[in-house]
Amino acid sequence: MKKYVYPFVALLFAFFMPASQAAVEEGYSKQKVVYHVNYDDPKLQAAALRNIQNHINAVGAENLEVRVVMHGNGLALLIVPEALERLPKFKHANADDQMAARIDGLKQQNVSFKVCANTVRGRKVSMDNDLYDVDEADIVPSGVAELAKLQHEGFVYIKP
Amino acid sequence: MSSKDEIDINAYVDGELTPEERLEVLAVLRKDPDVAREVCELNNLKSQLELAYAHPPGLGERSKVRRRSTWLTLAASILTLSIGATGGWIAGHNDSAADRLVLLDPAGRGQAPATAASDETRIVFHITTPDQLAAGELLDEVENMLQAYQHEGRNLRVEFVSNGEGLGFLRQGLSQHQARIHQLAENYRNLTFVACQNTIDRLRVEQGIEINILPDARIIDSGVSHVVERQKEGWAYIRV
Repeated sequence: MKKYVYPFVALLFAFFMPASQAAVEEGYSKQKVVYHVNYDDPKLQAAALRNIQNHINAVGAENLEVRVVMHGNGLALLIVPEALERLPKFKHANADDQMAARIDGLKQQNVSFKVCANTVRGRKVSMDNDLYDVDEADIVPSGVAELAKLQHEGFVYIKP
Repeated sequence: MSSKDEIDINAYVDGELTPEERLEVLAVLRKDPDVAREVCELNNLKSQLELAYAHPPGLGERSKVRRRSTWLTLAASILTLSIGATGGWIAGHNDSAADRLVLLDPAGRGQAPATAASDETRIVFHITTPDQLAAGELLDEVENMLQAYQHEGRNLRVEFVSNGEGLGFLRQGLSQHQARIHQLAENYRNLTFVACQNTIDRLRVEQGIEINILPDARIIDSGVSHVVERQKEGWAYIRV
């Protein structure tokens, strides 16, 4: 059945092509993107945030909805340096002033940072004392489940 | 390498060879690691291209061609298996895993995309790094999900695909999670483990050793192509 429907759909698309082509030439249309961070290397994490800024620059903040989902070692992105000694399960705490400034900048451009509750619980992280600028609304029950859910909602998955 | 071989390799990657020609190329791949790596790279490139252009509107003709080449690949693989050219791994193959839906059905039966409208959540985890500590945490996370979904009576399917540096996760003697994987595979029929034949072949040739995969895992031609197919079917994709 599908075999016969496709050519018909193709014809329809061909028919409306001129209009959609014009929209493409004016720039990117709206995008929803989830960035996955589960590694703690500060250089890689800084590069990921730079990727996101470049993505925004190319598409326009008004056209782009970005979620950054962190779990496991990835939480190091939001851990403040002074918390490292009370968190034995982390090797890095990357939320120094410079990283915090990058995070603030992105948050003003429609980027939200989501933290895995399993990691917070499992590694005994204090939301108020150990993490930079995280509140209840930023915590998701499971980082992995969140990644799957967002993709089903139409978010494109990127792992820098 | 002669230019004729190069043509053969491209045709091989595109699935355009006859089963006999395919066997000839396979024999070369076993002997020559450079050619094997080249095929691996071509396969990766092809898969990424396919994914980038997975759903362009009105390309019905193209998808028909792809289907035919999948059949050809399948026919060639069956022939390869039947004459035992793939060697010993079949001997240790676990039959109870065979009825699980791992091999892609070229007709796409029973693989409706898991869209928001579908009631089944499908996730493929692509293991490409040697970090087995992270893989262990992931198994915890996945077990929690499997339990939660089972408890709530919701449908979930999870697949782990290991290739490249991630193959150690499913290698006998190297995997730190062998017992755990066995126990999970026994308990959850909706959880599958898949290893990449291309990586196995490459390691065999490069290191001259026999690569043994956990009996709970299935082996497929190409891990990269497999995760691309899964995404086309609507599975959520998470790289680890």
